[in-house]
Amino acid sequence: MPLSERQRADFERRVHAHDVVLFMKGNRRFPQCGFSATVVGILDKLAASYETVNILEDPTLRDGMKEFSSWPTFPQLYVKGEFVGGCDIVKDMYASGELETKLGVERRAVVAPRVTVSAAAAKAFMEAASEAAGDVLRLEIDEQYNSDLHLAPKADGDIEVQSAGVTLYVGRASAARADGIAIDFVKASSGMAFKIDNPNEPPRVKPIQPNALKAMLDAGSIELFDVRPDGERKMASIAQAKPLDADGQRALLALDKRTPIALHCHHGMRSRAAGEELLREGFTNVYNLEGGIEAWSRDVDAKVSRY
Amino acid sequence: MSDHATDFVGDVCVAIREAIATKIPGARVEVTGGGGHYSIDVVSPEFGGKSMLASQRLVYGAITHLMTGERPPVHAVDRLTTKGA
Repeated sequence: MPLSERQRADFERRVHAHDVVLFMKGNRRFPQCGFSATVVGILDKLAASYETVNILEDPTLRDGMKEFSSWPTFPQLYVKGEFVGGCDIVKDMYASGELETKLGVERRAVVAPRVTVSAAAAKAFMEAASEAAGDVLRLEIDEQYNSDLHLAPKADGDIEVQSAGVTLYVGRASAARADGIAIDFVKASSGMAFKIDNPNEPPRVKPIQPNALKAMLDAGSIELFDVRPDGERKMASIAQAKPLDADGQRALLALDKRTPIALHCHHGMRSRAAGEELLREGFTNVYNLEGGIEAWSRDVDAKVSRY
Repeated sequence: MSDHATDFVGDVCVAIREAIATKIPGARVEVTGGGGHYSIDVVSPEFGGKSMLASQRLVYGAITHLMTGERPPVHAVDRLTTKGA
């Protein structure tokens, strides 16, 4: 529905109510959606003074702002009455340092990360770079610590670091997460690949595919536990899996915290949650069988019944 | 799959795809998701030279009607990518 002139004037007033206005789900202290929380986190880091408007409290405002901004999702960030964008755009601008300029705050001083590139990785980089005219080697590490090493044009705000004769450009927002990383070039299942060791990365539950788990079980290099209750176990089970009942839990907790441990359930959801719990207990090498026993039956052993 | 309350009848993914294809003729559109949450990837020469804001606005503009109202079929776009062909 097109906005009336009066509504338009009202929204104009609202977006100008403060230099920085964030229309969001929830408020600054209690964001009620991940995207809103991300933008609040970024604005808080820049110590910008800003105002939030909770669009969940007013359905008319919510629909009206979608129309007014030509943007049907929230959050929506306005600076000096101008629409800046939603979560993706704010994240991008934060990464490049452009957001500080927009907000009129000083650019954060970013300390160059220490990066170690192995001789093999350096050689591979040089070869790749010689074929990419104008592109540089860039590294970005997102908040989940996924590393993205790629050839691309240098981005605004990139930090230049050198190691083993290689020049690497690290995205501004990634700098702190990249400090102390080591990049190597190693043999992987699909040929040679870059391997990044990041000491800043918190341990997390690692996904493992049925066939890879089978290989580790056969080699005796991993312990597998079944988090499902007895009833489900009777319907189908993996021979090498120990039930995570009271006895199983005692046995598991007695293991060295570095022991590789895999968990499985029916589809992989419950076991993932259990894996997170193990990380909190201090285990550092926790795997989740992706797709659970269902995937195991499909990929490894069709005799395991599906239910 | 969906416990998302909506009055919309039909396949939401198809509706999103068609709305975008109508607005941006020739665009390659991929939509996945359900339960009110969708991921959308669009490839079109239209985005060449456009900023991320302008590109995303073009797509969002096409599906605004699916995202407004009391019980809209699309509650959230979890991922939107726009690529120049």
